[in-house]
Amino acid sequence: MRSAASVITALLLALALAACSGGGGRAPCPAGLRCLEAGNAGEPLTLDPSKSQNVWEGNIQYDLFVGLTQWNARGEVVPGMATSWEVSPDGLIWTFHLRDAQWSDDVPVTAGDFVFALQRLENPATASPTAYLFYPIAGAEAVNEGKAALATIGARALDPHTLQLTLTHPAPYLPLLLVHTSALPLPAHVIQRWGDAWLDPAHIVSNGPYVLKSWQIGQRVLLARNPRFWDNGSVCFDQISYYPTADAVTGERLVQSGEYDLNYTFSLPRTRYLRQHMPAYVHGVPYLAIWYLSMNQRVAKLQDKRVRLALSLGIDREFLADKLMGHAPQALYSFTPPGLLDYTPAAAPAWSHWPFARRQAAARALLRQAGYGPEHPLQLEFKYGETAKISATALQADWRAIGVDASLAPEETQILYADLNAGNFEIAWDGWAMDYDDPMTFLELLATQTGSQNHSHYSSPRYDALLSQSDQQRDLHKRAQILAQAEAVALDDVAVAPIITDAARYLVNPDITGWVDNPTNWHLKRYLCRKGPPPEVR
Amino acid sequence: MLIFIARRIAFAIPTLLIVITLSFFLMRLAPGSPFQNGRRLTPEIERNIMAKYGMNRPLAAQYLGYLGGVAHGDLGPSLKYQDKSVSDIIGQSFLKSAMLGLTALVLAIAIGGTCGIAAALHQNGRADYIATLITTLGICIPTFVTAPLLVLIFAGWLGWLPTAGWGGPRNLVLPVLVLALPQIAIITRLIRAGMIEVLRSNFIRTARAKGLSQRRILLRHALPAAVLPLVSYLGPACASLLTGSLVVEQIFALPGLGKFFVTSALQRDYTIVMGTVILYSALILVLNLVSDLIYAVLDPRVRLT
Repeated sequence: MRSAASVITALLLALALAACSGGGGRAPCPAGLRCLEAGNAGEPLTLDPSKSQNVWEGNIQYDLFVGLTQWNARGEVVPGMATSWEVSPDGLIWTFHLRDAQWSDDVPVTAGDFVFALQRLENPATASPTAYLFYPIAGAEAVNEGKAALATIGARALDPHTLQLTLTHPAPYLPLLLVHTSALPLPAHVIQRWGDAWLDPAHIVSNGPYVLKSWQIGQRVLLARNPRFWDNGSVCFDQISYYPTADAVTGERLVQSGEYDLNYTFSLPRTRYLRQHMPAYVHGVPYLAIWYLSMNQRVAKLQDKRVRLALSLGIDREFLADKLMGHAPQALYSFTPPGLLDYTPAAAPAWSHWPFARRQAAARALLRQAGYGPEHPLQLEFKYGETAKISATALQADWRAIGVDASLAPEETQILYADLNAGNFEIAWDGWAMDYDDPMTFLELLATQTGSQNHSHYSSPRYDALLSQSDQQRDLHKRAQILAQAEAVALDDVAVAPIITDAARYLVNPDITGWVDNPTNWHLKRYLCRKGPPPEVR
Repeated sequence: MLIFIARRIAFAIPTLLIVITLSFFLMRLAPGSPFQNGRRLTPEIERNIMAKYGMNRPLAAQYLGYLGGVAHGDLGPSLKYQDKSVSDIIGQSFLKSAMLGLTALVLAIAIGGTCGIAAALHQNGRADYIATLITTLGICIPTFVTAPLLVLIFAGWLGWLPTAGWGGPRNLVLPVLVLALPQIAIITRLIRAGMIEVLRSNFIRTARAKGLSQRRILLRHALPAAVLPLVSYLGPACASLLTGSLVVEQIFALPGLGKFFVTSALQRDYTIVMGTVILYSALILVLNLVSDLIYAVLDPRVRLT
């Protein structure tokens, strides 16, 4: 017994000793430098701009590279590598003038690097998941489908400082599209030399405010200041560490203890708690992302518009947004979220202003008309993934109240994606976040030609025609009106049931300056700084 | 002894082959694909991806190709972490998991062993009851409860230790404790039971009759016999501790193997799952062999043939 006691005492002593050797656990920062410690939600699957598609990868890529256009601190698109551009009268030929800039190895960044990046993106061998975003560029689709040579893409370097893009149709939102990570320039000279190994920290070069110093998988991605960045003088932090905080609650604790300066995302149902306990840290604002229900219109019972409308009417969106999610998201009645640049979403249906009891009564009446009733209730299988664990039971209860018998079918993410793409479901929780700040990023999901990604298999000739018509429109205002008409058509058809917007969620230490909440959820680290005097240089 | 080892190794190879075969086909039978992500893939791109990873070939050919790779030590590229090979990922994360697991194991053996002996010596006394209470708690309370609780106390309230992350030795204190607690409980119980049984046996009575000191009886005669159940427990326990724990790695944001194993299975990253399964099975085979060898050293009745 005595020996047990002594071992335990020794251990407690060791613990106390370890504890006394310093306060919290902030990673050491080299003397004289400013370091930003950032929780980043996930481990990057890749840092290759042509191959990645996740926000936590974009967070890092935007520190490394600057595209033709770039995000400012307010989440607006402003000129980046391109200082100015002209558009031909027909809206099809765009000429970009590039600034003098160097890669981090002192090699000049040229128009050729942008052409190279676009060709690599569309090259079927790259197998980029986002190649289709740039199909408005002439020849891109054919190249991506393996039907044409790389050089046929409508991207040409007129000289090292002039890039010309040719489009298939006027796309006045092109500058907004070009800010996407997959349009970032790539160092042709490095990729040609190292191939897929170009991302190795020993090889990679970048043209942005930071360079990749190391990447320890599952542990940390370390970036250091790029002294050759053209606007280096305005960059405050010398070093950024990105940590894959897969557990959002761990991320909260790390920010609270001061070990991290910020953490990307917090769990939605924690919003209320966080607002009470760390109000100065919480940044939860509407995000250009939506949650909605896909209703498979290849399933006979869901081909009846009355049934789809009843299901949509029966959902208590305000309860989901305000009570369940703690006010961070908003109830959604349109297919585009509020806050898109130069766009007003189609008017919400009239019933969105009704009290909930009236909506329920209308839903019951519609179901009766469609032939369902207490003896013969509508039966549905509701598929959903991790993100809807909490909402699913609320939806089930909402539907039970209007006499719909929905069985819950939770699925692993990979299986849910497979089922959605294959149309193997009746009704399913679905979501989309903007690729670019334009309604098209949402509306094209419901187009017939979108194919498998149009999960509901909604098909309306009128909707498709309006989208094509908008493609030909050069005037942004008129184009927005056409798109709003299209959206109204889809809402009237109850193509899907919009539920809530998502929220841009960050926890940020109040000592961090330069943070501006915005609906795009992009917060480039080069605009951030920390309160207080700069560290002493020894 | 050498013949014994050789024979066990010879048996290990077909065992490993069966494990690889079963998990290869089970993994492919699971619904969902690693390349689904909510975006549309044109048929051409899907074909390209399949071709890139050799998944356009018949399953049997893929299986044989994979076996060939494994035989040459090539576990293939990760399907999800596109810039990394499976060996990269396992190499980086296994070392960290192993270091964590090994520290926890040593701690658990030291504390559990001491508590077990103390409890056995004072059977039905106060020390025994305290040890029983603590071990019951240790076994019952899952790590996903102890971990946040310890973080709350030592990092949140007291501010003595870091909340999470991988860095200096101070980062390891809490995860090691959390990993060790259930092992301490199990080891205490195993040692206590083994010790009680051994202390009643004839050869201990003989030793006492010879007038040997209590210390000598305990350490020289009783302990080697009493640790036998522990030795057979430690083989598999060691393998699972070394390969990491999802819960502990998730809560403490540690770059270990356990997290990759589970998330890769969910994301259908076939090659990482296969690589981890191979590593885990090989570890179990080796550690079982080691525990059999230790058995032979400790127990004179065991003959390795």
